[in-house]
Amino acid sequence: MSVSTESRRGTGYVAALRQKLPSSVLDESWQTAEQATITVTREALPEAVETLYYGHNGWMSVVVGSDERLLNGHFAVYYVLSMEGSEKSYVVVRALVPPDTMEFPSVTPKVPAAVWGEREVRDMFGLRPVGLPDERRLVLPDDWPDDLYPLRKDAMDYRLRPEVTTETETYKFINAAKSETTVVPLGPLHITSDEPGHFRLFVDGEDIIDADYRLFYVHRGMEKLAETRMGYNDVTFLADRICGICGFTHSVAYASSVENALGINVPPRAATIRTILLEVERLHSHLLNLGLACHFVGFDTGFMHFFRVREKSMELAELLTGSRKTYALNLIGGVRRDILAEQNLRTRQLIGELRGEVTRLLDILLSTPNMRQRLEGIGRLEKQVARDYSPVGPTVRGSGHHRDVRIDHPYAGYGSIPVGQHVMDGCDVLSRTLIRSQEFFDSITIIEHCLDNAPPGPVLVEGFTYTPHRFALGYTEAPRGEDIHWSMLGDNQKLYRWRCRAASYNNWPSLRYMLRGNTVSDAPIIVASIDPCYSCTDRVTVVDVRKRDATVIPYKEMERYCRERTNSPLK
Amino acid sequence: MFKLLKEVFRTGNVTVRYPFAPLPASPNFRGKPQYDPERCIACAACTIACPANALSMETDTAAGKRTWQLCFGRCVFCGRCEEVCPTGAIALSPEYELAVMDRADLYQTAEFRLASCRVCDTPFVPKKEVDYVIALLVHAGLPEAEAERRRAVVETCPACKRKNDVPRVGSLGPLHQMGMIP
Repeated sequence: MSVSTESRRGTGYVAALRQKLPSSVLDESWQTAEQATITVTREALPEAVETLYYGHNGWMSVVVGSDERLLNGHFAVYYVLSMEGSEKSYVVVRALVPPDTMEFPSVTPKVPAAVWGEREVRDMFGLRPVGLPDERRLVLPDDWPDDLYPLRKDAMDYRLRPEVTTETETYKFINAAKSETTVVPLGPLHITSDEPGHFRLFVDGEDIIDADYRLFYVHRGMEKLAETRMGYNDVTFLADRICGICGFTHSVAYASSVENALGINVPPRAATIRTILLEVERLHSHLLNLGLACHFVGFDTGFMHFFRVREKSMELAELLTGSRKTYALNLIGGVRRDILAEQNLRTRQLIGELRGEVTRLLDILLSTPNMRQRLEGIGRLEKQVARDYSPVGPTVRGSGHHRDVRIDHPYAGYGSIPVGQHVMDGCDVLSRTLIRSQEFFDSITIIEHCLDNAPPGPVLVEGFTYTPHRFALGYTEAPRGEDIHWSMLGDNQKLYRWRCRAASYNNWPSLRYMLRGNTVSDAPIIVASIDPCYSCTDRVTVVDVRKRDATVIPYKEMERYCRERTNSPLK
Repeated sequence: MFKLLKEVFRTGNVTVRYPFAPLPASPNFRGKPQYDPERCIACAACTIACPANALSMETDTAAGKRTWQLCFGRCVFCGRCEEVCPTGAIALSPEYELAVMDRADLYQTAEFRLASCRVCDTPFVPKKEVDYVIALLVHAGLPEAEAERRRAVVETCPACKRKNDVPRVGSLGPLHQMGMIP
C-alpha cells in the first residue's frame, strides 16, 4: 500500500538504523503511516533490534516466524518493536532465513525480551536461533516428533495430532539458586480454569529462591486453523475465543490488522462502538481481578461483592452485543450491530450504578488493613527487569513505565478520546491492583464520552477486495496490556500467516523475577497480580533443596495457605 | 468493618431462583437458532457463512435430495446465518437452555427434493430454489410467461449449460467472443 511520505511516523528510527548499519538495511516498506518493515541482513539482525530497543526506546511486541518459501524461497522472522520514544510507531525488523541452513543469530543475548518468541519460532518452524541461551521447547509437548514443525506450509493437516509417544515429562526446569532449594510444583491442571500452567517454585524454607514455569499444555493451534480452514471474516469469531475474558479485544486487533493491510477505513461510528465494547470488556475484566485480589488475601466477602457488581458489566455486554462473553460483533470493515437509543439509555444507567457500587467497594477494600499489609512490597518487578522483558498493561505501568497502546498508538476511536494514564512506581502487587482500580473509572468515563459523542453514519464498509500477501499489524490495549496481531493475506481467501499474541505472553517471562525473594504463601497473589490468562496453577511441587525431596501440594491447599497463612503445608 | 456490614445489609439477598424460576435473557440475546424449513430454499448461503461449520449441507444425487443440517453442539451463536439468509428462514432466539440427554438431539435436519436438469436429467438443484428464482424474476417485473420461459435455463445444470454454450459462442465473430461488442 502506498503511504504518503509526509504522513509517516517513525522515519527517524529508520534513518537512525540506516546510519548505524549502513550496509545492512536491504529494504524498507510502509504498511500504514505508523508501521514500517525494515528488512536487514541476517547477520545484522541482533544489532538492529538492539539499536531500536535500547537506543531508541523500543519495546518488544512480538516475534513472528513465517514460512515464505512459496513467496520468496525463504523463511522470514519479524521482530515487531513498539517504538515509544519521540515518535510513536511500530518498526518491524525482518530478516530472511535460508531454507538450507535454517539458522539465524539469536537476538535474546542482546534483548532478553525476545526469548519466548525465538523459542516459539524454533518449535513451530524449526528455525534455529544461534546463540539462544534457552533452547527448551516452549509450545510443543515433550513427545512431539523432532522433525515435525506445525506451521510450515508443507507440514501437516490441522486436524492431525501425532500419537503420544511418552508419558514422562522431559522438560528441564531452570533453577538459578546457588544453595539447595525445595521444589514446589504448582499445576498444571486446575478445575476452575480453562488453561493449565505448571509452576515450579524452588524454595528454601518458606522463601522462594527461584521459579520456573511451563505453559502451553493445551495449545489450541488457532493460527494453523485460521490459515488452513477459515475465511477472513470467520477468523474474527475465532479471535473472539482466544481468551475467555478479553476476547473482543483480540477480535478488534485481528480485524484491524487486516483493515490496516488493505487500507480500509472503518466508519467512525463503528470505531466508536468498538471503543465502547472494548471498555465494557475492561470493566468486567478489572472487576474480576479485583475480586480475585480480595479472594487471595482472604477477604472473601469482598470477592463475592465484586462478583455481584461485575454481573452488571456482564449485563451491559449482553445488552449491547447479544452475548455475555463472546461479543462476535466484528467483521472486516466494521461492526455488525449499532447501539440504539434505548440501549444507550440503559447503558448510562448501568454504568452509573457500577460507578457508585465500585466506589463503595474499593473504599472498603482499601481501608482493610490486611490488604495493604499483604500486597505492599510483594512481587516486586524492578524497573530495569521490566525494561528488559517488555511486559505490558498494568504490570508494566505498576513498575513506573508509561506504556498504554490506547495512548501510544491510538486505534479504534481512541485518537479523539481523552484517556487517563495511571502509572505507579511501587513495582509491587499493590501498585498493579491500584492501577486497575483507577482504570476501571477511566473506562466508565470513556464509555460515557463515546455515548455522548458517537458520530452518526454506517457501521460497516463492504465491497473491498482482498489483495494477496499484504500484511500489517493490528493492536489493542486489552485489560491486561497490549494484544498484537500480525496478519498476511493469502491468495485463496484465507490468511497466509496469522500471528496473534495475547498480553499475558509478554508478562509471563518476567514473573520469575516477581516471585524471587517472596514467601510461598504470596505466590498465588503474585501470579494473580499479572492477571494471567493461563489460567491456573493447580498444584505446587515444593522441592526442598536441603532435604532433596519433592512434595506435591494440592493447589487448594496452597490457596488456603495464601489466605489463612497458618499451618504451612511445607512442614 | 462497619462499612462492610452496611454494604452487606444494603445489598440484601441477590441470589436468583434460577433454575426454579425463569431467568430471561436480553431481547437481543443471541441464543439457539430457530429454523423454519418452510421458508428455507436450501441455497446453502448459511453453510458458507458459518464460521464453526455447525451448518452443513449434503447433496445426494442418487436419491435426488439435499439434506440441511444444524449441529447445536458446534454452534457459536454468532448469527452470521441469520445475516446471510435471503428468506429469513433462520434467526437466533433468546433461548439458551440447550442441554440434551441424547447426543442425537443436538442435530436438526431438513431434506429438500432436487429438481433434475432438463438436458441430462440429473438432479442438481433444490426445486424450491428454482421456484424462488422464478418468483423473484416475476417480482422484479418480468411478465409471468417470460419468467416461466427462463425456467428452462435455470433448470439446466452448469455442465449442460457449458455444452449448450459452445456451439452458440462458436457461431459468433471474434469480437463477440472477446466481449468487445455485445
